[in-house]
Amino acid sequence: MNAPLLPVPDETSAPYWQGCAEHVLKLPCCSRCHEFTLPPDVTCPNCNSLEPEFTWQPVTGRGKVRTWTVIRQSFLGGFKVPFVLVDVQLDDQPQVRMIGQLLDGPDAPLHIGDAVTVAFDDLAPGVAVPAFRKVQSA
Amino acid sequence: MSGLFLARNQVAIVGFAHSQVVRRSTEPLGLTALRTARAAITDAGLVPSQIDGFASSSLMPTSGDHAAQDGISVVSSDWLAQHLGTEPKYVVGFQGIGQLTGSLTLAVNALASGAADYVLLHRALYSPPGKYNDSALARAKGGQQWSAPQGFFGALPGIALVYNEYCQRYGATREAMAHVVVEARKNGARLPWGYWYDKPLSFEDYMAEPLINDPMSRLDCDIPVHGVGVFILTRADRAKDMPNKPVFISGYANAYPSHNRISLHWTLDDMMEAGRAQAKRLWEKSGFTPGEIDLPQVYDAFSPYVYIWLESLGFCPEGEAHRFVMDGNIDSDKPGSLAVVSGGGALGNGRLHGVPQLLECYLQLAGRAGPRQREANTALFSYSAPNFGGSFVLTNDPA
Repeated sequence: MNAPLLPVPDETSAPYWQGCAEHVLKLPCCSRCHEFTLPPDVTCPNCNSLEPEFTWQPVTGRGKVRTWTVIRQSFLGGFKVPFVLVDVQLDDQPQVRMIGQLLDGPDAPLHIGDAVTVAFDDLAPGVAVPAFRKVQSA
Repeated sequence: MSGLFLARNQVAIVGFAHSQVVRRSTEPLGLTALRTARAAITDAGLVPSQIDGFASSSLMPTSGDHAAQDGISVVSSDWLAQHLGTEPKYVVGFQGIGQLTGSLTLAVNALASGAADYVLLHRALYSPPGKYNDSALARAKGGQQWSAPQGFFGALPGIALVYNEYCQRYGATREAMAHVVVEARKNGARLPWGYWYDKPLSFEDYMAEPLINDPMSRLDCDIPVHGVGVFILTRADRAKDMPNKPVFISGYANAYPSHNRISLHWTLDDMMEAGRAQAKRLWEKSGFTPGEIDLPQVYDAFSPYVYIWLESLGFCPEGEAHRFVMDGNIDSDKPGSLAVVSGGGALGNGRLHGVPQLLECYLQLAGRAGPRQREANTALFSYSAPNFGGSFVLTNDPA
């Protein structure tokens, strides 16, 4: 297997990747309207401010599975197939939907609305990518 | 502004040509495009020097590591105009994702405004050696940093997410989708120029195909091909004296991205929301209603698009398309059906980005479909997904 595909942080994303390295999910929040979005855009997609001056706020990372797919063939090297990608709507920022791997693996039963929480896949020293894990209902 | 399209039925398609569709060719794509362009000009009863407008989109729709080279692997309007040896007044390329509908919009507007008298619209698609979408990407920069590190890459996983959300929400099965793919291949097998000519697909073969991004199999995706479609358009007043029966443009609608998401994360709700809004504009501008369309041709490069378009255009209720197709309602051999892939679509022709849909509308309305001729006076074609693509209504009876 090839080496993992690592993100290259830039001026728009450095706090995000720094947070991930520390296993904290931080999302960009518009300084004008205080709404979250992902990825950070040039303007705020909610209030259209030309100067959103996004701040990176820690969020709970809890959400619900909207849909998923099992990737059995990937166009990229560096990924061990099969793996599951989940499309997660965040509970506290419902306008944000994230796509990440489900670390429970391809055999975990899944349904729309299943509760998940953010987890982190450590790709290399100091580099982690957000993923999700199922939350077992009590 | 609302109401009917001011140029309703004022612009017509008056000729066409289509190359043979092959999996790969050693011929530069530009040469195929030039041959096809010359044939289309002749078909319309014109000579190249009369073509004063060019419209197209030349995007190569791959996430793989392929360089786009004008005249070799892509063909822009600029390249075609220069190499056809004409003196055009109007040369444009559409930059968005809804490429064929977007560039047809540019062509129609140019003619309606008098910016050009005869516009050549083309779409040329290339199939590179090697895997179409495979990438040796080693670092994820820019927009890709938000998607590629978790293995979300290329268009297929995104459409698989949309399709699975549809299946889970509405109880759609693979058996239902077999009716779409088998139908497209049945119709494509009847097209002598098509890649799948004489190669229909059985229900059993579809069901036996392994999934690659659940619930999508390879057979739910159009196959990359080398091929070119060209259409000649002019104004209605000129069209009436030309050799072929004109097919008039009644109206169109396009859509543009509306939500900030990571690249290629097109959700089911985004598609339906944009699709309903687009359909409303289409009916308003064209002056038609869904019940008045004899022959809709919906885009199907990924099989789930057929459901999305059927529902967003109002041909069946939301969540019902999978039952609609299972009940035989898109069977081109069943009288009274809504044969939405009668022209084979992308699944039955190859990756030609809306050309099969527009071609089928044109051939049927111009009375040029040969043994496949259907009775139809109004047609519709759609391209891409409704949150990025567009749709047109056409008629052969502008009265």
